[in-house]
Amino acid sequence: MYVAGKKQTQKFLFPHHLSFILHARPLRFPFDSPVSTAIRVVYSLIIINKAGGLIYQREFHAGLQQLSTNDFLVLAGTFHGVHAITHSLTPQIPASAASTAPSIGTTAGTSTSTTAPSGAWTLPNPSLPKTGIEVLETDRFRLTCFQTLTGTKFLLFTDPPTANIDVIMRKVYELYADYVMKNPFYQLEMPVRCEAFDRHLATWMRGRT
Amino acid sequence: MTVYSFYIFDRHADCIYQRRWLPSSLSGKPSRPTSDTQTLSHGELPGPGRSKRSADDDAKLVFGTVFSLRNMVRKLGGEDDNFICYRTSQYKLHYFETPTNIKFVMLTDTKAPSMRIALQQIYVNLYVEYVILTPSTSRQVVKNPLSPVEHPGGVGVNNELFEESLELFVVCMMMSGPASGETV
Repeated sequence: MYVAGKKQTQKFLFPHHLSFILHARPLRFPFDSPVSTAIRVVYSLIIINKAGGLIYQREFHAGLQQLSTNDFLVLAGTFHGVHAITHSLTPQIPASAASTAPSIGTTAGTSTSTTAPSGAWTLPNPSLPKTGIEVLETDRFRLTCFQTLTGTKFLLFTDPPTANIDVIMRKVYELYADYVMKNPFYQLEMPVRCEAFDRHLATWMRGRT
Repeated sequence: MTVYSFYIFDRHADCIYQRRWLPSSLSGKPSRPTSDTQTLSHGELPGPGRSKRSADDDAKLVFGTVFSLRNMVRKLGGEDDNFICYRTSQYKLHYFETPTNIKFVMLTDTKAPSMRIALQQIYVNLYVEYVILTPSTSRQVVKNPLSPVEHPGGVGVNNELFEESLELFVVCMMMSGPASGETV
């Protein structure tokens, strides 16, 4: 009786002329719709080897400009160089001021600046190592860069409001480790042509909400 | 939040103004801010990593970076896309470009909010007011619609009024903390 009742309500909820809602649901229109922020669109993924060469490029969603392969190669090389420059642009602050930086103008009087040894400099965030660009923001997209210890760079282009990109990045890296690095036919630093990687990446990106 | 440095580049890719704030000098001497590169390169002790690079070279590197990134962003996002900022583990760089291709760049700590509005305000309220509308050499305030458009070598940008108000603006921003950074 309970089952029958449920069936009835289901029938009532989705009459034939409204059934397109059910069918339309899996299709996503990431742009122009307010839902797009919830879906967290990933536009594309680029992998750059440690020499600045493009070894993988894949688009998941339309939204960015269509570029030729040559343009992507140029882009990878440019980003590689800029990444290195941004690394070296890191401001260095006097070691004595680092600890007093949050309380500007209150206690850090002239005494600290005079007692500071002239050679002692520190980074703004001494607990973290110096890196190049990690996140770049524009009006249209957000670029997140993850550099592995071996120098390979993963670039993810996403919608600006997308959160938890590190989760996506970790998954991409995991898939890369599983299906590219463990592929016995893959040559290091060479373009990634691994069908299993493509497939798993596509499946995971599709399943992600 | 902390502001580390600030640069203005004109449309010929020249750095017409640069200023650095170091946390120690903020609470120290209340001297007038200086913008000329001579005092910057001689007055400050270079760090270990940049002993061979002067403040002038830093400005060139900053320009090269924002120029490349801006072009890259336009290529990817379309002609009307704007490069806003980037962040590394140590600092954040904010970028604002006027329709006349004057570029404003500010380096802050990583926790700083978006400084786009702040840079725009520096342009509208300080740069236009004190650099464009005041004659380059005289010290008295006379609004001059015929003042030179170009500032080769930074002449006319490093006037007292502009520097003092910029100093005030940035120090206020630093004091007010990250939450109100956009509204200052």
